Amino acid sequence: MELFIEVFSKLGNGFIIALLLFALTLILAIPLGLVMCFCTMSKFKPLSLFSKLIVWVLRGTPLMLQVFAIFYLPGLLKLFVWPQMNTGWVWFDNTFSTRFIAALVAFAINYAAYFSEIYRGGIESIPKGQYEAGQVLGLTKKQVFFKIVLLQVIKRIIPPMSNEIITLIKDTALANTIAVYELIFEAKEFMTVDGLIWPLFVAGGFYLVFVGLLTILFGRLEKKLDYFKA
Amino acid sequence: MKILEIKNLRKRFGDTEVLKGVDLSLQKGEVLSIIGSSGGGKTTLLRCMNFLERANCGEIVVNGKTVYSAKEGEKPEVSPEAQLSFGLVFQQFNLFPQYSVIENLMLAPKLRAKGKAGGETVDEIRTRAESLLLRVGLEEKADDYPCQLSGGQQQRVAIARALMLAPEILCFDEPTSSLDPELTGEVLNVIRSLKDNGHTMIIVTHEMEFARYVSDRVVFMADGVIEEEGTPDEVFGNPKSEKTKAFLSVGMGKL
Ligand SMILES: Nc1ncnc2c1ncn2[C@@H]1O[C@H](COP(=O)(O)OP(=O)(O)O)[C@@H](O)[C@H]1O
Ligand SMILES: [Mg+2]
Repeated sequence: MELFIEVFSKLGNGFIIALLLFALTLILAIPLGLVMCFCTMSKFKPLSLFSKLIVWVLRGTPLMLQVFAIFYLPGLLKLFVWPQMNTGWVWFDNTFSTRFIAALVAFAINYAAYFSEIYRGGIESIPKGQYEAGQVLGLTKKQVFFKIVLLQVIKRIIPPMSNEIITLIKDTALANTIAVYELIFEAKEFMTVDGLIWPLFVAGGFYLVFVGLLTILFGRLEKKLDYFKA
Repeated sequence: MKILEIKNLRKRFGDTEVLKGVDLSLQKGEVLSIIGSSGGGKTTLLRCMNFLERANCGEIVVNGKTVYSAKEGEKPEVSPEAQLSFGLVFQQFNLFPQYSVIENLMLAPKLRAKGKAGGETVDEIRTRAESLLLRVGLEEKADDYPCQLSGGQQQRVAIARALMLAPEILCFDEPTSSLDPELTGEVLNVIRSLKDNGHTMIIVTHEMEFARYVSDRVVFMADGVIEEEGTPDEVFGNPKSEKTKAFLSVGMGKL
């Protein structure tokens, strides 16, 4: 019984870390993705090419690698490139919060890249006639985007976005590779320290329940926008 | 009084010249039909008038005021007033799917009135929208969404939406071409009622019979120029140009 309580409280703490990472990643990646999307769609060629390159690298390499890169790169810079760098720099002192921030940064830019491609697909799928009808009715470009296009884009991107967001909650497990004590990290501790397997399955249950909730939430959202076809 | 004068309008896409110097003028209250086989530049002409394309060169004069004037290599800005002198009804309706019928009509006037002292109030806009819906026979559909309407009904909403901004000249680009044949009548009836109300209109159409009875003047366009122009009786009854004759003899039955 005591063991049960210990497992659940440890896993619960790990899950809270995972949720925190999940929520903060979304808060950062959703707007950052929009910025990346506008950059890749920019008419200014150097900007669009550069941002397409970034998106390609972020989507084309493993997230785990990016977590490592963000975590170790500043340290390596300090070691080789800029040894006289102020040692008081807090963001690479290997405390829990710096490891968490490194994971968060890696997650946010990686997911922003995926989101930006989803946004771009959504924006490009809106028929040209919607923009033209807006222009002919005297709307400004900004009004056309916010009053006509945006909601249609949102409706179209909800299914792919919900897919990515469900993937994100499971991807938070990757943070355990730089010792962020999230759910899987805690469950693994029980395995390696106490020789217990079942806490891993309990951890799986946590994800499953949360994904279930997300699925219901996105289902409702989709239903809410069901009143029109676009 | 001349409400519209177009002088030597030219438009190129890349190397292909699509409008090769079009001159056109229109009296207030006049209804002009533009006919011609596809690829002749009819849509491009309407799009240049509505500034969806910028003509490479030429002039557009509305009510004696030059609203667009381009020389080779220039790309003039278009003022909001110039934009709103023209209205355009598209072949594909292009209603805004997330807005109800009445919201489709009210959106642009509401955005225009917003933040302007002495502008129209929302209630006034709604009253105008309701009376226009009545005119196109859709007062009962005010709260429906576009996806719930037939093509003919959607096109009538699109006409009412364009009228909300009271354009000087209302343009139609094949307004019935994407409708089932049994639905074209309701749209053509609305257009005819607009003529009776004195609206100035330019209609690109393949409905030859309709063009013949609704128009004051007919223009036949081919290969980016106006090939022939006259009253419906002149153009349909006694065409002078060989191209017009060929088009009409093939086109009358088929299109
Ligand atoms: N955006 C465009 N880019 C390139 N060519 C175009 C474009 N729009 C129209 N064209 C060409 O211009 C010509 C005239 O087209 P259009 O004005 O649509 O004629 P119509 O409406 O009389 O059928 C066609 O050959 C068409 O392929
Ligand atoms: Mg056309």
